[in-house]
Amino acid sequence: MRRILPRILLGTICVLIALWLVAPTLVVVPMSFAEQKSLVFPPSGFSLQWYENFFTNKQWYGSLIVSLKVALIVALLATVLGTLAAIGIERAKGRSAGILRAILITPIIIPGVVMAIGIYAVYLDTRLVGTLTGYVLAHTMLALPFVVIAVGASLSVFDARLETAAASLGASRLSAFFTVTLPLILPGILSGMLFAFVTSFDEVIVSLFITSPQATTLPVRIFASITRDSDPTVAAVGSLTFLATTIIIGAGLLVGTRRGRSK
Amino acid sequence: MSNSNTKPDGAARLGWAGVRRHPLLLVLPALVLLILIMAVPLITIIARSFIDPVPGLGNYSWFFSHKLNLIVLWRTFVISFWVTISCVLVAYPYAFAMSVAGPRLRLILVLCVLVPFWVSGVVRTLAWVIILQDTGVINQFVIWLGFDKLSLIRTQLGVTIGMTQVLLPFMVMPLFAVMRGIDLRLIEAAKSLGSHPVKAFFQVYLPLSLPGVFAGATIVFILALGFYITPLLLGGPSSTMLSTLVQQQVMSLLNWGRGGAMGVILLVATFGFLALASPFMRRKYDISGGSK
Amino acid sequence: MKIDFLTRSALAVALISGGAALAQDGPVAGDVAEGSLEGETLTFVSYGGIYQDGQTASLQPFVEKSGVELYSDGPTSLAKLQAQVEAGNVMWDVVDTGDFLPYVHCGTLFQKLDFSKIDTSNIPEGQVGECSVPAMNYGVLLVYNADKYGDNPPTGWADFFDTEKFPGTRAMPGYAEPNGYIVEVALLNAGVTKEDMFPTDVDLALDQYRAIRDNLILWQTGAESQQIIEAGEADMVIAWSGRALAAVKNGANYEPVWNDWVVVMDQLTIPVGVKNPDAAHALINAAIGKQAQETLTEQTSYSPIHMGAEPQVDELTAKWLTNSPERIAQGYLQNVPYWVENYEALSEKWAEFIAGY
Repeated sequence: MRRILPRILLGTICVLIALWLVAPTLVVVPMSFAEQKSLVFPPSGFSLQWYENFFTNKQWYGSLIVSLKVALIVALLATVLGTLAAIGIERAKGRSAGILRAILITPIIIPGVVMAIGIYAVYLDTRLVGTLTGYVLAHTMLALPFVVIAVGASLSVFDARLETAAASLGASRLSAFFTVTLPLILPGILSGMLFAFVTSFDEVIVSLFITSPQATTLPVRIFASITRDSDPTVAAVGSLTFLATTIIIGAGLLVGTRRGRSK
Repeated sequence: MSNSNTKPDGAARLGWAGVRRHPLLLVLPALVLLILIMAVPLITIIARSFIDPVPGLGNYSWFFSHKLNLIVLWRTFVISFWVTISCVLVAYPYAFAMSVAGPRLRLILVLCVLVPFWVSGVVRTLAWVIILQDTGVINQFVIWLGFDKLSLIRTQLGVTIGMTQVLLPFMVMPLFAVMRGIDLRLIEAAKSLGSHPVKAFFQVYLPLSLPGVFAGATIVFILALGFYITPLLLGGPSSTMLSTLVQQQVMSLLNWGRGGAMGVILLVATFGFLALASPFMRRKYDISGGSK
Repeated sequence: MKIDFLTRSALAVALISGGAALAQDGPVAGDVAEGSLEGETLTFVSYGGIYQDGQTASLQPFVEKSGVELYSDGPTSLAKLQAQVEAGNVMWDVVDTGDFLPYVHCGTLFQKLDFSKIDTSNIPEGQVGECSVPAMNYGVLLVYNADKYGDNPPTGWADFFDTEKFPGTRAMPGYAEPNGYIVEVALLNAGVTKEDMFPTDVDLALDQYRAIRDNLILWQTGAESQQIIEAGEADMVIAWSGRALAAVKNGANYEPVWNDWVVVMDQLTIPVGVKNPDAAHALINAAIGKQAQETLTEQTSYSPIHMGAEPQVDELTAKWLTNSPERIAQGYLQNVPYWVENYEALSEKWAEFIAGY
């Protein structure tokens, strides 16, 4: 009895939270099939015109491609740089580590629009406006703090003595890192990578400044759409992302757990 | 153990040895990128806050002499604080369930966190408008049940609900990463030694999970301070946050000096807040270290 | 021989455009010389979404005929434009802006237009500025829930403030950029006549809104205002005519009050320091042509600013267009020069109001 009650309680709480997490997306999906140019719920009628619009309008699907490219590179770059930095800070401890940590999280504390005009001015001089490099550099800077914090949290629970022990047993420092430390902090690195990807994929304020006709990101396109119009294409985009990520993450996790179980 | 540092390490190459002696070298690549991209804009903006439109402290005295600015700054911290607290309260049991669930259930729980996370924040906020508004999904249900409609949209409550949902993954994931590393046998051990389960949780499990809580809370709090679109669309005048005022100064009034000053003030206030909070975090953290 | 010469001569544009144009001594709106911009590129900036798609479509004949390579950028951002001008690296050639901005920043961010290159003869009077020509017209007007006020509907701006006679929720624009008309219609309600309105008492005006604050929603974006009407969130809404029309088309039973509707417009401007001002002028001249304006209206339901335009729209849309003689007679023109002069002061008070102060 004492064991079952907490479980039921926990289960109920989790179901409610899960529902609350998914609910807004569940509202977006039916709206994407609206017959009229309207963002009202519940929508009336059924049509695929907004999906058609997305896939036939280069400005829409092109922006998705740009966003995906940028976010993938940012995720890799920020994860590598951020993980190294987090390890360095964790090992160094002390005052200078604290200051470095503060510097590394500064980009996300400065209000986006203030940062954005500064970056834009620099980009105008260096011809980085609307280039892939421009997006990648700016987004990486904004994504770094998340990796540093997430990996830092994993490192702080991880017992550094394990690595030392492995080294004292004859493993090289490098291989001790890869065989002992890395697997233990991997969940932290993965969540940092995920944050980095999403930060880039969903970034609006700085991107609004550094966008160009040659390369616009998806959030910029969505933002521009809602300031003046009610275009259900934004709902279609939301639903497509919803579907794609469910499949990709679901499949990835499924494969992961399968493999985990077959071990 | 400490003498292991001075032990010669045969396999180490020079670079690795250098890094070992000066671990901060590992921070260098990230730092170089930050300085390349951030330093010039940041210095320009700070400089402009002191010289634009005229040299002096005019932008700062403007900020502090207008009551509205101070009210909104205070409100920004209060809302962010509550959003952080609700994120912790919601994410903690959820992440715990994720860490103890079987593979299939965990898959579902992880999906529920991650999938909405990828859908544009702007789109999700629009959806929250539709759910929370007076004629929205929740109120239609409430009225159908025979109750009076609830005021959710354009209230601080509505903003908190929406922001918490948008920011929750930033809390769940670090928490989950830390919780996975906690050995549940520690609790079992405590219980077998006669400790009450609740007491065992508070004395053993909670302290071990705190680094995850603090990591998530730091991210959520800082992100909440700078939130723009969600409070704009879900909130009303009573929930205007600082980012909206900054946006106004910079984007429509072209007052870059004032915008920069507000950025500097927010930066100082945030670091001040984190510095105030950190001894508290550090102390808790030491307890967890000690209980290992 | 003629073609080469035409690349920059606006006069010659008129010569080859034939027929009626021959009588005229200058450019003809909507026309451009064949191949005259071959090898040139232009970046046109607007607010995005369906509106900008419509503008791009309306410029298609211009692109094909002139041979220019046209890029669309946006959304319009004054701060971005200022950064470009300050850096001496202006990437935007023609910019669509809100109504006050070209007046406020005329000569500093936007260049004075050369009207020997733009044919403004078909634009209604009073709409052309030193640094701008209108891109289209629309209205800001009061729309009300016909189910709720069916028998005894509101008839003017004053009813917006009368929550006793017309109980119910209100909604109005609450985005950062201030609008003079918001002050003017409130002052009319406070008993100030149109004649003694200026200089205005902005506080008195905003107090009119503060008095009904408990029943007032501030909308931030066009999408939101339309959604508020469609969902019936507010019974009386100060809305853009285009969004209100879209909501009515989608089944919302709302009616407009045309009495003193406020004439508003987007402007076409050329930033200071563009690389090819002649080409930019040619684009503006093309955008205000009859056919371009018809296309724009058909795709976006904004009203054309070419007085001869005859867009093919459905009956409902036609009812909501603002360019009929009847509508023009009912329209209310805000005092643009005054607000340009007092933009800063208005902005400060407006910022406080929308932040709930």
